[in-house]
Amino acid sequence: MTNKKVFNWLDERLGLTAIYKTIFERKIPKVNWWFTLGSATLFLFALQVVTGIMLSVYYVPSPDKAYDSIEFIMSGVAFGWLIRGIHHWGATLMVITVFIHMLRVFFYGAYKYPREITWVTGVFLLLATLGMGFTGYLLPWNQKAYWATTVGTSIAGTVPGIGDFILRALRGGDDLSGVTLARFFAAHIWIFPLLIIILIGVHLYLVIRIGISAVPGKND
Amino acid sequence: MTEDQKQAYKEKYLRAKHNGEHFFPDTIYKDLIVAFAIFLLLVGLALFVGVASEPRADPSDTSYVPRPEWYFLFLFEMLKFFPGNLEWLGTTIIPAAAVLALLLLPFFDRNPARHWKKRKFALGFMGIVVLGMVALTVRAAVTTPVQQESTVATTVAEKIAAGQDLYSVQCVECHGAEGEGGVVSGVEGLEGVTIKAIHTQDEMYTRNDDTLFNIVDYGQPNLGMPPFGKGYGGELSRSDIEYIVTFMRYSWDDRAELPKEAAQASAIPALGPDEIPSYDTHIAPLVKRYCVSCHRSGKENNNYLMTSYDQVMNSGDHEPNIVPGDLNSNLIRMLHREDIEAGGPMPPTKALKPEYIQLFERWIKAGAPQTTTK
Ligand code: HEC
Ligand code: HEC
Ligand code: HEM
Repeated sequence: MTNKKVFNWLDERLGLTAIYKTIFERKIPKVNWWFTLGSATLFLFALQVVTGIMLSVYYVPSPDKAYDSIEFIMSGVAFGWLIRGIHHWGATLMVITVFIHMLRVFFYGAYKYPREITWVTGVFLLLATLGMGFTGYLLPWNQKAYWATTVGTSIAGTVPGIGDFILRALRGGDDLSGVTLARFFAAHIWIFPLLIIILIGVHLYLVIRIGISAVPGKND
Repeated sequence: MTEDQKQAYKEKYLRAKHNGEHFFPDTIYKDLIVAFAIFLLLVGLALFVGVASEPRADPSDTSYVPRPEWYFLFLFEMLKFFPGNLEWLGTTIIPAAAVLALLLLPFFDRNPARHWKKRKFALGFMGIVVLGMVALTVRAAVTTPVQQESTVATTVAEKIAAGQDLYSVQCVECHGAEGEGGVVSGVEGLEGVTIKAIHTQDEMYTRNDDTLFNIVDYGQPNLGMPPFGKGYGGELSRSDIEYIVTFMRYSWDDRAELPKEAAQASAIPALGPDEIPSYDTHIAPLVKRYCVSCHRSGKENNNYLMTSYDQVMNSGDHEPNIVPGDLNSNLIRMLHREDIEAGGPMPPTKALKPEYIQLFERWIKAGAPQTTTK
């Protein structure tokens, strides 16, 4: 009974029931399995955050130590291989699910009135997800990482006019170095995740406020 | 959309919602099933596929063929269609236009219809774009040359074995098979120079792994030790040097204990009293450890190469160096440290152990077979 009292006391002040009702008891049109892709992406993002935090406990973002610290995670840390494996494959899967989620929204015309802004935040989420992939790829500091990033950043350097500036801003100098690694690390664990969390907040606020679209019928 | 159309849409949507279901539990159970399936899939991938190990980053190795993450491959491939001074089209204009078009899609797509039958142009266009991306990705995957397999050793035992092989090829000619050093003979430019032993306790206690790494990486040019790192004109990657250092540390430092598997992997196979030795099982490991360092192309060796059975049997200025069944073959006489027309004692600095010489003799007596058929 005291539990109930405590809950009521909190509910009176925090409006927990109202929150629960808006999120979970809302009515939505009958939808199919394609509509699970957004929540699948959300789940993958949450999983990336959790496994990423675990990896960051052992990972060292310096050119001298990065490779060895990953090797240590793979063979020295209990279940390190599992955490890294999930994070590695989760990244790939998340790109796939975001992309197909976008295609389903496109196919059902769900970006049209009144969901235009949901779509726009979605595009930024897609770009931020790709940004996560690009910055995360360098972190193991192995051959593949180093050279893919060398080529990737040099492509950015061909932008007319400001290419050189972009290149130097990405690399933190003329060449890939410890500065680049520190930058990519900061972008990968702070900047992009924060951006994604904010964007997901707006995205889901809109999804709940406007309601999920119905599967279009012949007359829609 | 006109106000009327908006109103009509809203009403229709409300009706659909009314006839619909509750998010909890009707819809959310699907989401949970998918999430759970994804979790199982990821654990399965981590368990059975894992993450491929790659060699350490090596800024000096410009021969590495770069390959972006797979979901960027299509971009990478598209750039190939914009060579030279049109490059900016592919790197800037097209990606920027694509992102902008995607962002503004709800604003320039004025068609109010949502069913696919009434949006054939939009769906067709997107379909072509997506197919194009898939085709470019496949094309990139097929045409990008596979990176030359470099051995990636992950366990200590694997590193030691890889290091042993590299040491045998690269270092034995000057430092001897066990790092014993001595008076160099048969090496261009260092004839008669005395090299100190590098397998001693003194050496191992005073040089830590980083120092050894640096010595191999950029050599000791004033003493005659050539640089081996790719960054300094040598042929070893940073991982290769790491393996050599690991091999030296575990084989010569009495404070490090050689793992059992490593000891077994590097042992020269033993031979029973009635067994017939074969090249593949018994001679090749010996040759690899004691001879190949000098007897490979690009070294001074009277053109006697020892990297394959055929070469061992049929090469050299004084060919044949091995006559099956004949213990007076050049090779045997030189192993017994005779000075003959073909050259001096082999290996020049230090005789092979008697049991190894015996192995060569028994093999030649048996007809120098490549393999033994039972
Ligand atoms: C062309 C001959 C040559 C080759 C090949 C060679 N070295 Fe050397 N190395 C030398 C000479 C000469 C010295 C100097 C020896 C001395 O000071 O007595 C030396 C010195 C060294 C030292 C000792 C440095 C010190 O001061 O403690 C190490 C360790 C060493 N080499 C390792 C290697 C390794 C590992 C390889 C194979 C990758 C290798 N060397 C290949 C010629 C060679
Ligand atoms: C330090 C370098 C070095 C090593 C190690 C070495 N050799 Fe040689 N070998 C030479 C050189 C140099 C010659 C050329 C003759 C000379 O200068 O004595 C030669 C010549 C020979 C020849 C004569 C080839 C011909 O056709 O004239 C034979 C046979 C031979 N070596 C066998 C061996 C065997 C077997 C081993 C391994 C147990 C071995 N060598 C290890 C440097 C080496
Ligand atoms: C991190 C990435 C993303 C997450 C976590 C996410 C999450 C979600 C979720 C949970 C929904 C509810 C409906 C559903 O699951 O289908 C949704 C709907 C929606 N998403 Fe996303 N999304 C992401 C990226 C995108 C992208 C890239 C786009 C398009 C460019 C997009 C556009 C939309 C739109 C327009 C809706 C409303 C669809 C409707 O009402 O039918 N989202 N999103």
